Amino acid sequence: MSEPDDPRWLDEVAGELRREVTVRPAWRARLLDDVARAARPSARDMVDDPFGDDERALDNGPRRWSITVRPVAGLAAASLLVALGAGVMYMAMGSRSGANPSQRVAQVRSSTASPQLVSRAPAATDREVVRFELSAPRASHVALVGSFNEWNPVATPLSRDPASGKWVVSLRLPPGRHVYAFVVDGDVTADPSAPRAADDDFGSPSSVVLVSSPGT
Amino acid sequence: MGVTRPDVPGFNLATMTDAILVRRVLDGDTAAFTMLVDRHAAACTRFATRMLGNREDAEDATQETFLRAYRSLARYEERQTFRTWLFQILINRCRTAAVRRQRRHRMFLVDDTAIAAASVRPAVDAGDLRAELKRAIDALDPDQREAFLLKHVEQLSYDEMAAATGVGVSALKMRVKRACDRMQWMLRQGEASDVGT
Repeated sequence: MSEPDDPRWLDEVAGELRREVTVRPAWRARLLDDVARAARPSARDMVDDPFGDDERALDNGPRRWSITVRPVAGLAAASLLVALGAGVMYMAMGSRSGANPSQRVAQVRSSTASPQLVSRAPAATDREVVRFELSAPRASHVALVGSFNEWNPVATPLSRDPASGKWVVSLRLPPGRHVYAFVVDGDVTADPSAPRAADDDFGSPSSVVLVSSPGT
Repeated sequence: MGVTRPDVPGFNLATMTDAILVRRVLDGDTAAFTMLVDRHAAACTRFATRMLGNREDAEDATQETFLRAYRSLARYEERQTFRTWLFQILINRCRTAAVRRQRRHRMFLVDDTAIAAASVRPAVDAGDLRAELKRAIDALDPDQREAFLLKHVEQLSYDEMAAATGVGVSALKMRVKRACDRMQWMLRQGEASDVGT
């Protein structure tokens, strides 16, 4: 080992401390068994405080929420709510008059880049047909995953368009913001020709399509 | 739900990002959580072992971490990596375990005089780098040890460390520097002791 005064000592120390710690199979099996018995996580039910120290957090019982408002904090919160309300009203008025450039840009981008809005669905269904396409000439299988198909990589396969050589699929999507990605031979990739999801920088290769309501 | 169909082209949990695996768990796919466990359990156990000093406490803390993460998965937001979010839970579990144990054994020595006294080498092989390092790591203040391990062993960025620990970046940098200084001092003490033996 290098002398402690040598700059390399830290690399050697860190390297030694980074030695892999093996996961004992029995421990893993017990953990997965506990997970299987635990209450299933739900996007709607949040009954746990993962960062808290309360032992009750490992129970399956419902959590009671209580809010205590002190006078000064209450006044501040009320002011914040008023300010937020004013902001929402301003944005609503702005969008009607076309004065919200960021929102307009997003909608234009979603309709001009891939995926593309190709036709308007019947008003009764309130859905738009969106065509997704990807150029991946060497791929043998491409699928679409997204918030609209529960990120299921077998639900929406793309087929190769003989004319363009691109992988394509069309879906009817409800109005709103949809996050999606392609699965190319098992690898998840964002759509190179569409706006990236805001959280993309943190490791999730996702893209966004905004579907407008019919008539807008 | 068809969650275990490796024969289907394009369906490979191993290539899915953590964020997508989380979404699949929330959709009821427990196999996706197994994949998350397999990806992160070794690093979590390593961090907990280095923090708590023994394997048994480390496994308990890591197990609690994954259970809490599973039950609270809906709280995970993709603006931070799943690993950072998981470490946020793990750090709290380790802190809690350390406090509980401190009540029992008063194991962490933060007094310099006490550390100097403890630098008398234990009955281990003089060339045992692992024992030497363990002694130096154990002698760190828990906050410094935590910051040092996150930075130089788990290789989190300072921003990720701040998110995981709830401590500001400048304070974390100071803790890491002090940890490095103290580790160097401890290792020098060990070498001086080697010369004297």
